[in-house]
Amino acid sequence: MISFINILLNGLLLGGIYAITAVGLSLQYGVARILNIAHGEFIMFSAFITWMLHTTLGINPLLCLAVAGPLMFVLGYLIQKFLYKTLKDKTPSPAAFEGSSMLLAFGLLFVIQNIAVFIWGNNIEGYTFMAYSVYLGDIRLSANRLVILVLAVLICALFYLFLTRTRPGKAIRAASQDPEAAGLMGVEINRMLALCFALGALMAGFAGVLISLAYQLQTTMGMQYTIIAIIVVVLGGLGSIPGSLIGGFLLGIFGSIVSGIEPGLTMAAYYLLFMVLLLVKPSGIFGR
Amino acid sequence: MLEVKNLNVFYGNVQILWDVSLEVGEGEIVALVGANGAGKTTLLNAIAGLVPPASGSVTFLGRDLTGAPPNAVVEAGISYLPEGGRLFPDMSVLENLEMGAYLRSSWKQKKERLEKVYDLFPRLKERRKQLAKTLSGGERQMLAMGRCLMANPKLGMFDELSYGLSPKLVKEAFDMLQMLRENGITVFLIEQNVKQSLEIADRAYVLENGRIVLSGSSSELMDSDHVRKAYLGL
Repeated sequence: MISFINILLNGLLLGGIYAITAVGLSLQYGVARILNIAHGEFIMFSAFITWMLHTTLGINPLLCLAVAGPLMFVLGYLIQKFLYKTLKDKTPSPAAFEGSSMLLAFGLLFVIQNIAVFIWGNNIEGYTFMAYSVYLGDIRLSANRLVILVLAVLICALFYLFLTRTRPGKAIRAASQDPEAAGLMGVEINRMLALCFALGALMAGFAGVLISLAYQLQTTMGMQYTIIAIIVVVLGGLGSIPGSLIGGFLLGIFGSIVSGIEPGLTMAAYYLLFMVLLLVKPSGIFGR
Repeated sequence: MLEVKNLNVFYGNVQILWDVSLEVGEGEIVALVGANGAGKTTLLNAIAGLVPPASGSVTFLGRDLTGAPPNAVVEAGISYLPEGGRLFPDMSVLENLEMGAYLRSSWKQKKERLEKVYDLFPRLKERRKQLAKTLSGGERQMLAMGRCLMANPKLGMFDELSYGLSPKLVKEAFDMLQMLRENGITVFLIEQNVKQSLEIADRAYVLENGRIVLSGSSSELMDSDHVRKAYLGL
């Protein structure tokens, strides 16, 4: 019984990370139609900025949410405005843009990764933060992972409220459902796309800070998080924020079960799940 | 109020509109009729800022709107209801209405405008929490019309209101246009349904192969041999 609860709790702790990793990618693809293969690089970059600020200047990593997050937001905004916007103007059709934007994202992936390797090298890094245990009855949980879970859920909830309750949030959702009709309501589509991409990068930034609190970092780790984000988004349905949350937790629990059996097979099991999903229910468990 | 002068519009290399000129006066209901493929929707798209015209001009209340982006056109006071309503399917009735008041100047007044729209369409108030995709055909029509009104337009442009609706709903849709006029909104509609449009409109234009071939008061057009033969089947 205890081990079952343990697996479930570990899955939830992992799921928080997965959910916040996926939310940004889901938004970028759902609205801007950019499958951002470089999403994980934004996460990695933000994680290393946090690591650097903490280890060299002694800044509390939680405060880095307010630094790395906005920094990624600005970076995302500029990338959309100067790279993707230009590409879109030069691409004849939306379908062609989906393809060419993915290639551009591939380019970004290598550029960001190489810059990171240049600055921080290629070693495994990390720091200790709240590295003690808390007890829930008989169950032992590491405090930093609990903090990650709480913050991830909080950030996702705030993001959901932004999308459902505010004027720009509603415009983003309208634009994802019918961009032309949204334009006729007065929504400036190009500004909306830039905002979406920037918000996706912001969420990647938050994810990076949270990951750095408890996990090992490496400048080449981005791809792993991109893949996880894509799997979660497919699991939860594209463009759906609650879907990403639930999908994140489902994948977390799945991962926790697999690693309870054989930790080395976790990533392989994720890919397998991904392929099965694509074949059986490509619109996602909660997709339309 | 709305003045279109010598408008030429292309899709790629194909010219869709040839030298189109027309006028809509304040308080009027004006119809543009013509067969499928005549270029009617293209004209509305060009006025609404979705397609840039190659030459010619669009003026609204003395303001040049030629090639202006859609948000500038809405801001100027023109609301465009595209064919099929184009509601946001996964947003609630209330959210669809709010999107109609998206412009900053409208957003501040969305409460009062909502009251007004709910007065005109009490059914929308009952359904306000439902997703737009769950509405019936008639309710969708009301919602599309209500969303248009949320922008508090001076001119409403309607593309094929009657398309795909049952005869009863078509009648309701045309009744709504009358109601709009009584509420001080000028109406410009484009239709394949020539008979019913001429019954409701003050004036009309006939568009064929991208050119205006006839214009006049509705009664004049009803009596014209060409219209009777080509569109009314008489």
